[in-house]
Amino acid sequence: MAATQVDKELDARGLLCPMPIVKTAKAMKELAPGEVLKLTATDRGAVTDVPAWAGTTGNELLETHEEDGVFVFLIRKTQE
Amino acid sequence: MADHEKLVIMVTHGPEDPELATIPFVMAGAAVASDVDVVMGFQGDGCRLVQKGVAETVVAPEFAPLAGLLDSVRELGGKLLVCSPCVKSRGIEDELVEGAEVCAAARFVSEVTSATNSLVY
Repeated sequence: MAATQVDKELDARGLLCPMPIVKTAKAMKELAPGEVLKLTATDRGAVTDVPAWAGTTGNELLETHEEDGVFVFLIRKTQE
Repeated sequence: MADHEKLVIMVTHGPEDPELATIPFVMAGAAVASDVDVVMGFQGDGCRLVQKGVAETVVAPEFAPLAGLLDSVRELGGKLLVCSPCVKSRGIEDELVEGAEVCAAARFVSEVTSATNSLVY
């Protein structure tokens, strides 16, 4: 798999719902359209929250996977 | 886009029920993070949650602490409306957190009827 360029990383490990997406929303405000955020979280709720959040806000969830109990999300900003 | 959607969340449980006090803030946090306008309405014992110093004492197991949720909701533009007689009867009308606005029934009605949806806890 070709590596996606990551422009900003957000460590939300240990945070409980809805704080991973609250932090994600704040972090995305600092990105320009087209840039990519890498989010890491351990709250299992994030697995359904992040896709729902991306759908509601119109941002693009590029990739989701799990590494040793940590959920990793790559999200591309598509709007201001 | 969800830019103009609005959610009203009514809160009637206070610090004596940490879980039902926290869940409306969880929903509000998720909503403001999703670019949904949020109005939280505090009635009955719910109004104790916006009394200064009280949010810091409320932590429900497996939930994010209430104080941090309250800060996030305010920071991302959520509004806090508090029932006037509820705060008067408890003597806390001058002890509310920054941003909390005391109001009466018609304002709540106006907020609910202009909202996309409402949740009542």
